[in-house]
Amino acid sequence: MKKLISLLLVMVMMLSIASIVTAESEKIKLVVWSFTDELQGILDNYYIPAHPDVEITYVLYSTEEFFQTAFPTMMAATPGSAEAPDVFALEADYAKEWINSDHTAPLTDIGFTEEELAVSVPSVVDFGRDPNGVAKALSWQSTPGALFYRASLAEEYLDVEDPEEFQELVKDWETFFETAEELNQNSEGSVKMFNSIGDIYKPFFYQRQTGWVKDGKLVIDPAMIELMEYAKKAKDEGLYNMGEQWQETWFAGMKTDTTMAYFLPTWGLHYTLKPNSGGEAVGEGTYGDWRMVTGPVGYSWGGTWLGANATKVKEADDAKKAAIKELIRYITLDYDFLKQYAKDSGDFVSNIKVAQDIVAEGGTPNDFLGGQDHYQMFSESSLLISDSTTGYDGVMNDLFTRFALTPYLNGEVEMDEGIANFKTEVKTAYSDIEVD
Amino acid sequence: MVQQHAIKQRKHGKAMTSKVNYSRYGYFFVAPFIIAFVVFTLYSIIFTVQISFTNLTNWRLDEMSPVGIENYKLLLDPSTPVGSGFWAAFSNTLIIWVVNFVPQLLIALLLAQWFTDSRLRIRFQGGFKVLIFMPNTITAATIAILFYALFTYPIAPVNTLLQQLGFMHQPVQFFRSVSFSRGLISFLQWWMWYGNTMIVLIAGILGINPDLFEAGLVDGCNSRQMFTKITLPLLRPIMLYTLVTSMIGGLQMFDIPQLLTQGDPQGATNTVARFIYRQAFFGSYNFNYAAAASIILFFIILVMSLLLFYFMRERGTKLDRRVGK
Repeated sequence: MKKLISLLLVMVMMLSIASIVTAESEKIKLVVWSFTDELQGILDNYYIPAHPDVEITYVLYSTEEFFQTAFPTMMAATPGSAEAPDVFALEADYAKEWINSDHTAPLTDIGFTEEELAVSVPSVVDFGRDPNGVAKALSWQSTPGALFYRASLAEEYLDVEDPEEFQELVKDWETFFETAEELNQNSEGSVKMFNSIGDIYKPFFYQRQTGWVKDGKLVIDPAMIELMEYAKKAKDEGLYNMGEQWQETWFAGMKTDTTMAYFLPTWGLHYTLKPNSGGEAVGEGTYGDWRMVTGPVGYSWGGTWLGANATKVKEADDAKKAAIKELIRYITLDYDFLKQYAKDSGDFVSNIKVAQDIVAEGGTPNDFLGGQDHYQMFSESSLLISDSTTGYDGVMNDLFTRFALTPYLNGEVEMDEGIANFKTEVKTAYSDIEVD
Repeated sequence: MVQQHAIKQRKHGKAMTSKVNYSRYGYFFVAPFIIAFVVFTLYSIIFTVQISFTNLTNWRLDEMSPVGIENYKLLLDPSTPVGSGFWAAFSNTLIIWVVNFVPQLLIALLLAQWFTDSRLRIRFQGGFKVLIFMPNTITAATIAILFYALFTYPIAPVNTLLQQLGFMHQPVQFFRSVSFSRGLISFLQWWMWYGNTMIVLIAGILGINPDLFEAGLVDGCNSRQMFTKITLPLLRPIMLYTLVTSMIGGLQMFDIPQLLTQGDPQGATNTVARFIYRQAFFGSYNFNYAAAASIILFFIILVMSLLLFYFMRERGTKLDRRVGK
């Protein structure tokens, strides 16, 4: 009897395994490589429930591992293998290098038309274009930056009552630093305009006319020299908190009355400023005391783009090609998904209509910002961004900060010497860039 | 004898072959290592040598072509940016290693002597040894983060403490100072490894024939004489071992500088291993330079090791030999 039962059980089990196997084999299999669990959340919670016919293999690496070893090795050695990604995520600092390479398929090859792309914020689509203007990557989010400031401190030391007045005081860099001096005097040094040099780096970076490399030559845009001059002045006169981004002092400035303003993008509001405000409701910590303005310049910070593996797209049959397109389309362009996702996560999405509709439906009055609507503010600033990013940004910014900006600020080198050291480092790191 | 045995074996044919030939099992047991070694180490080494004579950058395997000794020329020439980077990294590494090794050997020697001195009879020896060895068991990453947090700017335990004690009025940017950054890395290397060196030296001292110490006692040696006349000369092979292994480890130093200072300030703590890593996985991914630099580093280590062996070889006088043998 026992034997019979166990035999039965075994048969039932085998049957169910067989049925799973046959069911799985009918599904289209897609491999997705990523460096962020944000994408995993989107796939698990939205994409997969809506697409039961697709089976996703999700491979997650750390950003460094992804872009320095795992992804380049795979794409160089066996880009067509079963383990290789069909669709991959690209981080803003590294994305250009891959968008410009032949490994990323043009979106038209997987069936996208330019009209379809037009629903997205132009700067986001343009970022995903190679130098010939071919669109290759799309993103579900737009990451415009803004300037967040403390209303109570602004009123106390600068006699500012509303965001429009504050914007006047920070409308360009000259005024911004004049205000910083005034603030320093009025508060007798207890409140500084910004926390770290890293804070003003990104906005200056977007002030540039030319990216780091043009026609194979290193270009140091005047904006970077301007940054060095302003930063040195700020350091010598003690106009900021001498903090460092992502370090103790930097976070401390968010909950104490020591820092007036932070330059942060969409995600910075929700994931950095809010959790570090020292409170969870109006009146606790600095919660509710923040306001947002555009600041001296429109800029963008971070973001994740999706691209398709050119080799695998070439080999794919029509059904698979359609599945690859649908995955990218659904996540980056689909109105219903993006609206739902925007509502659930508060993330600022790249679909212009979703953003407009959310604002029209009463927007997202944010009690953290004293009732200001961050969606409306970000929609405005997302249109101010001019793109001068290159595939070299991650490395170049690191070298520029380490060998020119920081040593110059600390008086270790003169400006010319710092620039010369930076150029030497560029020559050492890149054998293929012309440096004069 | 062997031949005879073989003949015997053949004669007795059947009875002999039924015996298991154990020797081939040895090959089976070492096979996993050999296979892993050939695939993951030997092949990588050969490929590295190959890359160092080509123009391979950024995974462009299809465009790889031989360039002769160009990469080596470039690296060995300090007037080129890459060459100057390499030699700057080499001198940084050497400075950091020497500053760490000299005190490491001296203090380890002193501790080893104390722990083995039969006249001192230190109590809680085991406890002390564990405490001294402990830093070696912590990972470099943990240590780097700990010390970064201690010395960071402007608000950190050390800055705050020194200000409260009145030693300074302004917080100091410790990691912008070349000598401090190098010194801290040397200190951490010392702190992590002096316990290890001490254990090795204790083992070396315990390996010396106790008769010699007894004879010394009988002849009225004091502790100092016993140390300089018996322990030190007989410890030479062990000290040579320590010196060579520490030099190899020191010239390949990577983790602490990478995690603690990232080569700052202005590349003053950039080590050779870090230089190689950055050539390979940073900028334009110059695998060719990285490979050539690895090979050069290998030869530098080889030459320095041979020099050490030469200078520390046993060139005994008659007396030394009599005592030693």
